[in-house]
Amino acid sequence: MNKLKAVIVKEILILSRDRAGMAMLFVMPVFLVLVMTLLQDSTFKQLDEKQLPVLIINHDADTFGLKILEGLKSSKFFKITEVENIDKQDFVQKIEKGEYLIGIIINEDATRRIRQSIQLNIQQQFPEEVGQLFEYEDNASGQARVEIIFDPILKSSYKQSILGSLKHFSAMVEARLMFEIYSGLFKDLLSIELKPTSSFDDIVNFDEKYASSGTNKIIPNSVQHNVPAWTIFAMFFIVIPLASNIIKERHSGVSARLLTIAGSKLISNLGKGMTYFVVGFIQAILMLFIGLFILPLFGLPSLQIGGNGLALLVVTIAVVMAATTYGIAIGNIATTEQQSSIFGSISVVILAAIGGVWVPSFMMSDLMLNLSKISPLNWGLNAYYDIFLRNSGLIDLLPNIALLLGFSFVCLFVSFLYSKRGLN
Amino acid sequence: MEEKAIIVIQDLLKRYKNTAKNALDSLNLKVKQGDIYGLLGPNGAGKTSTISMLCGLLPPDSGEIIINGTNLRSKPDKVKAMIGVVPQEIALFEDLTAKENLMFFGRMHGLKKDEINRRGNDLLEKFSLTEKSNKRVKTFSGGMKRRLNLMVGIIHGPEILFLDEPSVGIDVQSKNVIIEYLKEINRSGTTIIYTSHLMEEAEKFCTEISIIDFGREITKGKPSELLENNKDCENLEDVFLKLTGRNVRE
Repeated sequence: MNKLKAVIVKEILILSRDRAGMAMLFVMPVFLVLVMTLLQDSTFKQLDEKQLPVLIINHDADTFGLKILEGLKSSKFFKITEVENIDKQDFVQKIEKGEYLIGIIINEDATRRIRQSIQLNIQQQFPEEVGQLFEYEDNASGQARVEIIFDPILKSSYKQSILGSLKHFSAMVEARLMFEIYSGLFKDLLSIELKPTSSFDDIVNFDEKYASSGTNKIIPNSVQHNVPAWTIFAMFFIVIPLASNIIKERHSGVSARLLTIAGSKLISNLGKGMTYFVVGFIQAILMLFIGLFILPLFGLPSLQIGGNGLALLVVTIAVVMAATTYGIAIGNIATTEQQSSIFGSISVVILAAIGGVWVPSFMMSDLMLNLSKISPLNWGLNAYYDIFLRNSGLIDLLPNIALLLGFSFVCLFVSFLYSKRGLN
Repeated sequence: MEEKAIIVIQDLLKRYKNTAKNALDSLNLKVKQGDIYGLLGPNGAGKTSTISMLCGLLPPDSGEIIINGTNLRSKPDKVKAMIGVVPQEIALFEDLTAKENLMFFGRMHGLKKDEINRRGNDLLEKFSLTEKSNKRVKTFSGGMKRRLNLMVGIIHGPEILFLDEPSVGIDVQSKNVIIEYLKEINRSGTTIIYTSHLMEEAEKFCTEISIIDFGREITKGKPSELLENNKDCENLEDVFLKLTGRNVRE
């Protein structure tokens, strides 16, 4: 026990005197999580809650025009600006300049044209001997038109969103008008007065739910992604000081010297691993603290860590183990400090990139999404998502935990093989 | 009556991967208790390989090493508890102070804190490092590092001490302090096995010498005996050159 304590004290002394290493382990991740969370906040808001600026001219002062306007205004996705007396060229220019992402022109008489189209359709349903049911207005022939002008930078998903909304409101108006016309016919032909309907809006109830085990609805946002993502990234950056430490000991002959002392090499490795494990754990606590208490000071939402503390602990242990053993493996594989720091940092950055740290995996292409599954950072990140967003229990987390522990085992095995390299 | 052999090496064979020749070629040696045993030889003769195997750092391909009656292969930890090693390189933690290095290695040898402090302070005093004991090793001169390297190898008071070129690249004063201290601990019973390229130093320091080349022992004896057996040689260096040749080695 005294030997282990001596190793841990030694590692702490060396680590605490390595200012660059300390900055890499504690300052860099804090800076990264702050910057990246603030930077990605707007992107996540676009995905989630950012209102698209829409410019509208409504030339139809009747049901259709008013309903469209009312519907779009009540939607949280659009920020509606209504204009009157504007030249169409000026209107289009405002979209071209990027002042608005979408322009909508509801043409004159749109409601009358819809009404006339419905009447024509109804007329066709009746036998000819019934005769002319409606009086048609000559100046309302043809389809009702709504012109939609998009800024070319607008993503197709947003185009689909506005088109979907317009079609939805249009269908509501058409149904309402159809009901009005049939009511009129009932009254004229059968002298039956129909009572006005309350609403056509909620015939089908779309019940939205999140695929989460718990009852609380946590919305994925920049904080929920970036805090666990950069925590894992920081933990894996342990590989650089850890691998460097291992190589320094090997090159200085300390490693060989320890082999000449009974049982010391094993204890030395264990103590080193334990020290860096604790460092990784402290990093995780620090980053969670920042997510919980510091990010809200910058106007960001607080990190929601879910209600499963045990799962959080187990996943953090698994991630820190994977990171520490990866560092031990690189320290044993690399022959020089330079090699280990280059390979260590590049490999962690690549594993982070494909693992969904930089860009969340749900925004990735299918190819990258499949590729992300080979990254231990992705396993860790998914496990944190499961806890934070889906309220998953330990059983649900087992696949990712098993992958992380398996990765640790492979790293230790490779380290063992390479550690024998110099002894033959 | 024959004196007790504390180290017995029998038919030690070692060939490194991708090499054509044996590094050690059925080497046989016996080191008596209380000896200062000089293991001399040109570059590549097998000195460091022999020391590495004696310390349990390197496994032999075949042959046996018996240290103080214990077979190294079967009970390596028991043997390691008896030995101290001072490697050729400065095997210290550069970011730790001299005291912290002594404390760490003392602890690894299983010593208690008080004992390490007592022994460490004595050694720091003897090797004139007391004033610098709280300075980090990376600020030390070559000679200071070399002295501390030795102190770390003897902090636990080993019965047998292996020294691989302990005085290489240091000033005369440091070398003198080291040699005098080694003689002192030898007088108190420590057996010393020592490799060096410095023939004059070996001639004065060692009680027994073995010259090895190509992994084999080519001669052995007390320095005076080696000179006696090679009457045409004025000193040990001449004997060495006579037996190992004047060709420059790799």
